[in-house]
Amino acid sequence: MSALLKVENLTMRFGGLVALNDVSLSIDKGAVLAVIGPNGAGKSTLFNVVTGVYRPTSGRVTFDGAEITDRPSYEVVDRGIARTFQSSRLFSDLSVLDNVIIGMHTRTRTGVLTALFRPGASRREMAACVEKAETLLKLGSGDLFEQRYRPAGTLAQADRRRLEIARALASQPKLLLLDEPSVGMDDMETDALVADITRLRVQNPALSVILIEHDMRVVEAFPQHVTCIDYGSKIAEGDFAAVRAEPRVQEAYLGKAVAHA
Amino acid sequence: MAELLVQQLVNWITLGCIYALLAIGFSLIFGVLNVIHFSHGDVAMTAPFITLALAQALATALGASGPAWLVLAVPVAVLAVGLIGVLLDKVVIRRFRDAPAMMALVATVALGIVIRELIRHLYPQGSNPHAFPRLVSGMAFEISGVAISWFALLVVVLTVALVAMLFVFLRMTPLGLRIRAASEDRVVARMMGIRDARVFRATFFIASAIGAIAGLLFASYAGVTRFDFGVMAGLLGFSAAVIGGLGSMPGAILGGLIIAGIEVLAQTFVPDGASYRLVFVFLLVIAVLIFRPAGLLGRTVMEKV
Amino acid sequence: MQGRASPDVPGIAAATVFAIASQIIGAAFLYLILRVDGGWQVVGLLALLGLGFYLLERLPWIADYALASFARVPLVAMITAAVIVLAFPFFVGSNTYILHLLIVAELYAVLALALNFQLGSANIPNFATGASYGIGAYVSALLAINFGVSFWLTLPVAALAATLFGFIIGIPSMRTRDTYLALVTIAFGVVVQQLLNNFSWTGGPNGLVGIPAPSLFGHSFADPLVIFGWKLPSQANFYYLSAALVVVAIVTAHRLHGSRIGLAWNALRADEIAAKAQGINVAWFKVLAFAVDAFLAAFAGTIYAFYVSYISPDNFTFLVSVTIMTMVIVGGMDNIFGVIVGAFLLTILPEKLRAFADYRLLFFGVVIIGFLMIRPQGLFPQRMRRYGGEP
Ligand SMILES: Nc1ncnc2c1ncn2[C@@H]1O[C@H](COP(=O)(O)OP(=O)(O)OP(=O)(O)O)[C@@H](O)[C@H]1O
Ligand SMILES: [Mg+2]
Repeated sequence: MSALLKVENLTMRFGGLVALNDVSLSIDKGAVLAVIGPNGAGKSTLFNVVTGVYRPTSGRVTFDGAEITDRPSYEVVDRGIARTFQSSRLFSDLSVLDNVIIGMHTRTRTGVLTALFRPGASRREMAACVEKAETLLKLGSGDLFEQRYRPAGTLAQADRRRLEIARALASQPKLLLLDEPSVGMDDMETDALVADITRLRVQNPALSVILIEHDMRVVEAFPQHVTCIDYGSKIAEGDFAAVRAEPRVQEAYLGKAVAHA
Repeated sequence: MAELLVQQLVNWITLGCIYALLAIGFSLIFGVLNVIHFSHGDVAMTAPFITLALAQALATALGASGPAWLVLAVPVAVLAVGLIGVLLDKVVIRRFRDAPAMMALVATVALGIVIRELIRHLYPQGSNPHAFPRLVSGMAFEISGVAISWFALLVVVLTVALVAMLFVFLRMTPLGLRIRAASEDRVVARMMGIRDARVFRATFFIASAIGAIAGLLFASYAGVTRFDFGVMAGLLGFSAAVIGGLGSMPGAILGGLIIAGIEVLAQTFVPDGASYRLVFVFLLVIAVLIFRPAGLLGRTVMEKV
Repeated sequence: MQGRASPDVPGIAAATVFAIASQIIGAAFLYLILRVDGGWQVVGLLALLGLGFYLLERLPWIADYALASFARVPLVAMITAAVIVLAFPFFVGSNTYILHLLIVAELYAVLALALNFQLGSANIPNFATGASYGIGAYVSALLAINFGVSFWLTLPVAALAATLFGFIIGIPSMRTRDTYLALVTIAFGVVVQQLLNNFSWTGGPNGLVGIPAPSLFGHSFADPLVIFGWKLPSQANFYYLSAALVVVAIVTAHRLHGSRIGLAWNALRADEIAAKAQGINVAWFKVLAFAVDAFLAAFAGTIYAFYVSYISPDNFTFLVSVTIMTMVIVGGMDNIFGVIVGAFLLTILPEKLRAFADYRLLFFGVVIIGFLMIRPQGLFPQRMRRYGGEP
């Protein structure tokens, strides 16, 4: 089976800084890939390049059989890649519900003329969106549904992360990119997050997920495919146990002295 | 032909220097506060009025009118305008430092209206144009048959001196270094605690005082001033700063020269160019921003996501 | 605003009474302020207005109750509004000055609603609304004067021309933002104004004169309007025409706000990068906001040109754009009702403070700065969208 997302020889430079250095990786349909690595390794940059936020210096990204290198963000979403941001970027002055509805932008069609001259069609579309959004909000852990008319900016940290995921799912993606979804969550909330992701995969077996994580308990929950990046380069890949055993990975995480001790 | 060319060259450099001085103020303030002080042109154009009023007051108080009072009034006016700038920052502009860019923009546009209207109401017969004398008169020397005025010379020398002083100040003095640090990296500056009142005060004082000098030269160049000259002066200075790249001093100077160049070119070579000169200037502004959105010497910073 | 228990849903009877009574009180207030002639009466009415806003701020349930009532009996509310708007000139009678003020206020309301798509919904600075307004006015006036085209035909042509202009100003917005974009719009505004000032076929600084009055079914808008034996001054024609345009603008604003497009604009206002990550073609939606703004502004320009029958570049300066901006900011960005209130207040108040006539601009400047500093959300802040009749 060919990979859903294929990243080939990706390099991203910011001035003199090499944030990604010749990174290649791929993920199959329905798989979960965990990306780990120390702070500043280039993990978020990988997401940013894949989703068109940054233009890579060189390299190729292919998704679902089509090349998406250098394509604008909105087109990448339309093709089926949704993401969350490490420092959650919600539309903070809009309600929780509106945040999710905006996530459906690529799955809705109303243009100016339709909105003006066929208000019925526009209203029906919105009503359908509201219904879907409410379902999504009820689905995950937490009580986002009860808070659906709150401005997103006033949510608690864990709820913000959950809302980002709900908003990403609203575009019915084939590939979900989660950038440190457990940041700011306590242990119980993190467990609930793992349960949420697991349930998502059961409900939608075709969904692929790439997960950037620092919390090893989350990585442990999805141990089949793990990739470790350090200083922009891929230094290990395989299942969690194998990657963890790599000396270079330990070095990257613990520093040379400790690894060699 | 050569005469005309030299004459226009002198015009271009004179006007370019004046615009550059205005642009420097915009750039300096934007660099430090990340806020566009849209009324900077209006602040600058208060200088000729303050000068006139002071000279008049001195003349009536001490008798005997004459250019001597003007010479005395000019530095006082420059100082006063610098303080006006500091005051405006304290009362209005600083509240928009962390607000969306839009709000600062609209607020300072409104501030410009207020300044203009205050001049109009406070200055005797403020709605009318008022003659403003050349600060220096007479011809200095000749180049290929064209007499170069002392005024043109004054503008160039003053601009070079001010730019040099600013350069030294920003690079050599502790306060200048802090201003530069604040404009180079806001986040770092904030962490280092540079965001203190002195940096803002100094920035506004310097920008406004330089603006005042530009305003005096502008009025002197035109021979006349009016309460609403600040709009055009501000718009042209702002455009120069933006074309050059906001926050960049060399950019501000380059921008000033480019804008003045277009104006002079239009007036010299295009039939009826004088009435269309603003059209040319602003079409150029639009073109530059389409092709180089951060200005000619501006850095495009990619937002970290 | 947040997590509050649902407000008491008013009963049908209470809602009906409220919807009718509140609108009549509002109209009566407008009537009084138009009628009184300077001095203490104006001050008294202003104090009353201030008290009203203070109460609204202090007791937020009033606004919730009002909205719930209107939502409960929308038909009653709309019929009441229509009756009030239609009947207003009959109370004004032959006072053409009041009618003139109302027409200007209506046109400004349309312009403010137009700008609100950008400034309010998408937070895009646009200092060129005055220019779009001018393009609408000039295109229709030129067509009518030179080719004898009827007013009704010039309307759509002018709107299309201005929309094209809107697209053109919008294009740089794909690449520039904030301050830079503001400068681009200012530059466009200056260019348009300078061209109008310099071309000979636009009449130069003298502008265009002798724009013929429109006519409808043989009735010329220059003639008095006779309804059921009541004779209204000729301005009433334009009053009703402008009112119709305000209705069009409100419907447009309401439908776009409630659709996916309004949400996309709000999204890019809040966070452009996040908006792109939701699949929103940010550049296109910005251009769209410019186009919609120009489209509505051109309608207002056309009506203005035919109403005053004389236009010059001075009617469409940078200051006009700033005035429109003030109305949006004071009324409340992204709040349709607020923007209209802002337009009416800022048209009528300066006229009424005649003692300060010369200080009008100063007043505008101070009001903008004051609002941005003290109450940046405006008199009527934007409200969360509610769906499916939920409270
Ligand atoms: N827009 C940008 N401009 C300049 N440098 C950048 C930019 N974005 C990222 N970088 C740099 O690239 C490097 C990699 O950053 P990235 O955010 O990808 O790291 P990360 O692996 O996600 O780290 P963390 O675990 O802290 O999130 C860092 O040194 C960062 O400073
Ligand atoms: Mg990261």
